[in-house]
Amino acid sequence: MSEAPLRARATLRLAAVMAAAVALLALLAMGLQYRLVETRLMQAQRTLLAADLDGLAALYDQRRIIALREAIAYRAAAPGGEMLVLLDRQGKVLAGTRADWPEGLVAQGQGFTIDPAQEVALDGARWLVVARDLPGGFPLLVGRSLAPVDATLAALQRGMLGLLAALLLAGAGVGWLAARWVMGRIGRLNALADRVAAGDLDARLTGPRSGDEFGLLETHVHAMLDRISNLNRATHRLSDTIAHEMRTPLNRMLQKLSRVEGQDDLAADLRAEMRQAIRVFDSLLDISRAEADQGQGGGLVPVDLSTVAQEVWELYEPLAEDKGLQVGLQVAPGVQVLGDRNLLAQMLANLLDNAIKYCSAGDRLELQLAAGDPALLRVIDTGPGLPDGLKDAAFDRFTRAERDRARGIQGHGLGLALVRAIALRHGARLSLPAVGQGLTVEIAFPRAPGEGGVAG
Amino acid sequence: MQDRILIIEDDAETAAAVAEVVAELGCEAHHRATLDDGIAEAGAGDYRVIVLDRMLPGGDGVAAMARIRTAGSRALILVLSALGRAAERVEGLEKGADDYLPKPFEPSELRARLRALLRRGTMQVLDNDLLAFGDLEIRMKARTVHVKRSHVPVSPKEFELITYFARNAGQIVTRMQLLENVWNLHFDPGTNVVDVHVGRLRRKLEEAGSPAIQTARGEGYIFAPLGAAG
Repeated sequence: MSEAPLRARATLRLAAVMAAAVALLALLAMGLQYRLVETRLMQAQRTLLAADLDGLAALYDQRRIIALREAIAYRAAAPGGEMLVLLDRQGKVLAGTRADWPEGLVAQGQGFTIDPAQEVALDGARWLVVARDLPGGFPLLVGRSLAPVDATLAALQRGMLGLLAALLLAGAGVGWLAARWVMGRIGRLNALADRVAAGDLDARLTGPRSGDEFGLLETHVHAMLDRISNLNRATHRLSDTIAHEMRTPLNRMLQKLSRVEGQDDLAADLRAEMRQAIRVFDSLLDISRAEADQGQGGGLVPVDLSTVAQEVWELYEPLAEDKGLQVGLQVAPGVQVLGDRNLLAQMLANLLDNAIKYCSAGDRLELQLAAGDPALLRVIDTGPGLPDGLKDAAFDRFTRAERDRARGIQGHGLGLALVRAIALRHGARLSLPAVGQGLTVEIAFPRAPGEGGVAG
Repeated sequence: MQDRILIIEDDAETAAAVAEVVAELGCEAHHRATLDDGIAEAGAGDYRVIVLDRMLPGGDGVAAMARIRTAGSRALILVLSALGRAAERVEGLEKGADDYLPKPFEPSELRARLRALLRRGTMQVLDNDLLAFGDLEIRMKARTVHVKRSHVPVSPKEFELITYFARNAGQIVTRMQLLENVWNLHFDPGTNVVDVHVGRLRRKLEEAGSPAIQTARGEGYIFAPLGAAG
């Protein structure tokens, strides 16, 4: 589950893009609405201002400046959202809601029409004002505060920002939920694929299958797995049949060879050649069987790997000593793994045999087994190591280094392939750690289930 | 009286080859080609050893071993099969076979194994503590070897090796038999590992004055401490 956010990256990305798109559209819609509200509110203020101007114009028509002065003085006594200033010829305030003419404001025109109007900032607020020079040199200022408009727009902005944040949050939440849901569905399939990759070809998804595209995918995967299982079974049958059908004629040849008289050396050579052929043949069958059984727990029982290592080492140690190798054994006691004793012994035998074959007198050969999880088995030699470029292929079937052929080292290139197949059969990981000299083969065994703590 | 050996094998040529080996051992060979006939015969006749194929008309020989026992036979069973890989051999032995020889086999290997089985029925003295072959003495409890009264130091594996040889004294013992019985390994390592061990034991015995272990050319080894090869 901890990996799910990482694995769900594609889904999350999709959800993020969708959330962003929704937010963008909402932003556009809100922008339009904002513009509309702003225009309407401004128009309303303009209409109010126009009405004020009409009123003042009517007074001016009756009694000129005097009427204006009285009306302005009367209205300045109870100031509201309006600005009124009337000056005399010398620029002295005759009446007004403020004590002076705003600095820098230039009177335009003479009539009481709304146009041209100007927006000015005074005392920290916006005003829509009309400044006029009435006939005879009386400047008049009539204005309406835009503070209510600004307050409404600010409130609108706050609301929209909040809405946007809520939208983004909701988008992320929905995206996360969708990713979780998709991952849940895909996770089933991924878990199945992992089990199959680990070798359990008969693994299938249980439970009801939905009718959607995920269900369809599950159906397809199941059909594919069924086909693979059938092929695998057919291969097993084929290899068993080949084993039988090839051994019978080889058997007859051996029987007839024993009747050859007088050419003992030739007969012995032929027998050795046939034994070699049978060995190649057995190794191939062993490899394919071990590979086919890979990851299947069936047939594996708790085995004391320490004992097996010790036994096989005892078998090969004299051979190594006779060749003049310096040998060393470090095996932790009581290391239990789930395994097949015979296969494990064969794997160790192949590794030691291989090392002894390539090392020459004076080289060092060591077998190590360290307890723990995983239990580490190492075969270390200071021989010639693997040639460059062969590391990857060394464990493939029939891989042999050119120099071996040149040096006349016998082999069919199946020993290490069988080692790998057996390691995989046991769910163990095989690696070739980089070392200064020679070859080190490391096999990491998973701890046997049910074994409490670190064996030791 | 001649020992009787029953061959249950569907391939006529293999059966003839087995019969030839049986005749060489001085035993009487009887052949049955199907599993049902074989089981009936095993129950009726008094056989020392049954050579049993695995893939027979009528079923798997290994699965049929219980039926052979039920039929009343106390014969030792040697499974001779083309299913010769390690896992199959171990399976056969675990299910009650006394020996398991994969096909293709060499007549000498079969001969050595049949001899070992025939001897197994007659040897009872092995429970004794002392195995003496002239001036070569093996003490089972103390796990010591003496030649001409002087102690020959042997490793635990070498002791197991010499006791296996002693148990089959006078008979040819093959490398495969040694691997299976002394090391309990059921695969062919393809190298001369066994030879090195036998060589060491052999040198120790020779240095002490006993040329007990001899090479049987192309076949294996023979333990003949009293000089005469059987």
